[in-house]
Order: sequence, then structure tokens, then C-alpha cells
Amino acid sequence: MLLSGISKVCRFIEPRLDTHDSHSAEWFAAKVLPHEQDLRAWLQARFFLASDVDDIVQEAYSRLWRAHATGVIACPRAFVFLTARNLALNRLRHQRLERPPGTVEVDAFTLPGDHASIPDTIAHAEDLQLLLRAIQSLPERCRQVVRLRKIYGLSQKEVAARLGISVATVETQGIIGLRKCTEYFRRHGYLSSRR
Amino acid sequence: MRFRFRNSEDAEGIELTAAEWVLRCDRGLSGEEQDELSRWLAADRRHGVALALQRWSWEELDRLAGVQTSLAVFDPELVGPIPEGTYPRTGSRRAWIAGIAAALTLSVGVLYFARSPEVRSPVPTRLAAPCERRTLDDGTLVDCNRDAQIEVNYSNAVRQVRLVRGEVNFHVAKDPTRPFVVMAGDVSLHALGTVFNVRLDSHVVEVVVREGEVQMGRMAPERLSASATLPRLSANQRVVIPHTPAVQPLVTLLNTHELESRLAWQPRLLDFSDAPLDQIAVAFNRHNVVRVTLKDRSLHAVRLSATFRSDNVEGFLRLIESEFGVRADWRSESEVLLHKIN
Repeated sequence: MLLSGISKVCRFIEPRLDTHDSHSAEWFAAKVLPHEQDLRAWLQARFFLASDVDDIVQEAYSRLWRAHATGVIACPRAFVFLTARNLALNRLRHQRLERPPGTVEVDAFTLPGDHASIPDTIAHAEDLQLLLRAIQSLPERCRQVVRLRKIYGLSQKEVAARLGISVATVETQGIIGLRKCTEYFRRHGYLSSRR
Repeated sequence: MRFRFRNSEDAEGIELTAAEWVLRCDRGLSGEEQDELSRWLAADRRHGVALALQRWSWEELDRLAGVQTSLAVFDPELVGPIPEGTYPRTGSRRAWIAGIAAALTLSVGVLYFARSPEVRSPVPTRLAAPCERRTLDDGTLVDCNRDAQIEVNYSNAVRQVRLVRGEVNFHVAKDPTRPFVVMAGDVSLHALGTVFNVRLDSHVVEVVVREGEVQMGRMAPERLSASATLPRLSANQRVVIPHTPAVQPLVTLLNTHELESRLAWQPRLLDFSDAPLDQIAVAFNRHNVVRVTLKDRSLHAVRLSATFRSDNVEGFLRLIESEFGVRADWRSESEVLLHKIN
């Protein structure tokens, strides 16, 4: 399972990550692959996407690798679940399918379990602290929206339900938040150093 | 959609439109929007560049997914907690009596015989039940020791409870989307599906974990991150954290007996239904240092229905003194004889 997982991924990532970076491969095997079964089962159960699950998992992995190559990821499991969820939702939309009825709004399964909290060394990483400060600098409502969307991984609809505001407002606040975060990145040299 | 700043084409306007497109793509574009986006991208080379930048920023934030499980970046200020209320526990006799009275109103038989006007007078809801424990909105159970005071600040993103003073036991309801964090002085306790006990006094914060795990940290003044990470506590562990950060906290492992005796303060609710007085006395004696003894045989026939906190011997005695013609004779600090008044 482990080996096949790696080889599966290798088809989709930039070759240098795989061939030159055994450390990354180890990280992937330890932090990501153990969650693949969960992820697949969850995608199938939630989105009835049996035929597309492979594609979504590959695409999520490929995004994960890109992010991993350029910085710290707080929680690989949460990252992959959220990415896969977004991809799945987009795919459903593309096929003009509604989200299956009965799907719970807040899906705690995408989040790491109680006992899988993030090591402090990672949480203290400078990058993550800067990203957090960027969110912290936002006006309150905006901050709530961005935090729920990006840290808690809720969709626009879910955020609207949680905060008791309209989906349109969530989108508008997200737009403001995104612009301000980009501006924050620019001011603090995050853009020039990372991109 | 209208393109704002379409004519002026200033960098800021392009950036805004780009951010709008990122959020739209994120929730999924309709067919029309898809066409519109294509037209917008084709209109100016800078549009694609701006879109890529905003998309990059938006995706960078995904690195934070799940970071709420880390204490090190926990920041109650970041999510703007919504104050929910303050729950003081008074230890005053008035409150006890009112509490007992209220409990008794539940018991029709006794109410019928009740003479004191206090029994029928309305009492604040806060005192209506002998406050054995409180259930917070999320189902978390909180037992407050005498004079303990907490402030509950639940928001959509975090469940924060500040221990103002005293000792409290938490039985935390699981909610992976909203961390449960107790602040005691500058010590933060991040519960990971847990039953634990916290005591705050002027010198130390003491924590005892019965189930699950608690990640401890010391809050930095700016609150963005814990300035120092303290050890993680598991079940049956106890730690004493001095308020002086220089002194290292000491973690000890408690055996079952030590754990039970440490947590013995937690009151139980004693529920009596038409029970004879001698049985009630035995129940109180089991939970308290004070020994209550019935001196007169005729007292054995007295029966009542009531609910008491197990630590509320004094309230119990006052009630039977005022309602059942009994005199409580304190022989020492821990010995009470009950006499029938004829």
C-alpha cells in the first residue's frame, strides 16, 4: 500500500521532488499516506464520486507536494482533505449536480482527531506565524470568515450558516480578506521571498 | 457581473477584480461566469498575472488548515470571542437555603407542609438547583468548588473559559471544530477530549487530568502564540505550575487512590424520595467529615423527599431544624447530634 501509494503520486509530481528528495518521500509516507484510505472512503461516501476519486486524490496530492516544496504545511491531513473537498465540490458543480442531500454542513471528519494535534515546532514555523498574523490583521468579520474558511476548512455555505450571515456576505468578506492578506504579504516581504 | 474600474485599469482595481474571481472560482463558477472570466482574462495581460497572484495568496492560507489543534498558535483574540456570561458560585447560607427551598418545591409532599414563606418566594434560576454542576451550551459539564468563579466565552470558533478564581472540574464535550481552552492566570489549558480539574490560587495553577489529555502553555502578552510550551498532561497526571515562569512546573503521576482523594471535593447530588431521616444522615456522613447522629428514636420516622448537594450538610441541618422540629447540636466541628424538640 505504501509503495504503490508513492509510485502513484510520483506520476503526478515534479520529478525533482521525488527523485532528489528522499526526506520529502519519507514525510509523505509518514504524514499523508496513512490517511489515504480515510480520504478515499470519505470522498466516496460524501460525494458519490466513485469514478473520480482517483483523479481528485491525485490532484490533491499534487497540490500538497507543491505546497510542501515551498514551505511548511501545518497539518497534511487537513490540507489534503480540504483540497480534495474543494475539488470534489467543484466537480459536482461542473456536472451540475447538487451536493448530496443529508450531507452535514460541518464535516469534522476532515479535521485531525483529538490526539493528532500539530507539533509545536511546526506551529511555531515562521511562515505559519506570518500567515496567522495576516489573518489577525483583518477587520473582525472578515477575520472570522477567513479563519473559518482557511483554518477550519469550512465552505462558503458552511461559514454562512455558522456566522448567521448570507453566502453573498461571506464571499464579499472573503474578497476583502484576500486582498488585505495579499497586501500584508507584500508589505512583509512574503511575496518577494516566496513567489 | 460588472467590472469595477474597468476603464481606469489601475493596478488596485485589477487586483480587486482578481480577488473577486478567486473567491468565485473557489465556490464554483456558473457557465456564464466562466465565459465572463475568459473574456476578462483575454482583455488585458495584467489580468492573468493579477489572478495568479491572488490565487496564490488564497492557496497559501491553506497551509494553516487544521492549525487550530495546536496550542502554540491558539489565539482567542483572533476569533473575537462572544461573551456568554459569568457564573459565580456563592457559598452564602442564603443561597444554600434558597437552593434547598427550590429543590423542595419540586417535591410536592414536602411543599405541602412547608411553612416558611421563603419556600414559596421566587428564587433566581441560578440558585434554583443546588448547583451540583452546570452544563454549558455545548454539553460540557462544569463542577465548581466553593467560591470558584468562571467566565465563559464561547464563539463560533473557540470555546474559551477563564477561571477567575477557585477550583473547577471540567468534563469537556467533544467538538473538533471548536477547541476548548481554559485560561487560568497566564496558563492556558487546551483540552483534548478530556476530564480535568483546575485550581487557581495566588501562587500556582494546579491541574489534575482524569481522562484524555491537556496541552498546557503559557500565554504571551500579545496572545498570538504561547510564549512557552508547557508539558502535555495525560490521564492520572497532576502538575503544579507556579505563576513565576522561571520555576519549572512539576508533573507527577497519581495512583487511583491519590487521584480519587484529590478529586473528592466534587459534590454529588443526593436525591431522596420519601427517605427516612436516618438513611439521609448516613448518606451525608459518607460524603463528609461531619458525622450526623440521630439522638432520638422518633426521628427515624421522619421522612422527606429532597435533593441536596452532598457537601451541603449545613443547609440540610437548617432545613430539618426549621421544618421538622429538630434541633442540631454541634458537639464539635465534626460531630452533630439531632434531637427532637417536643
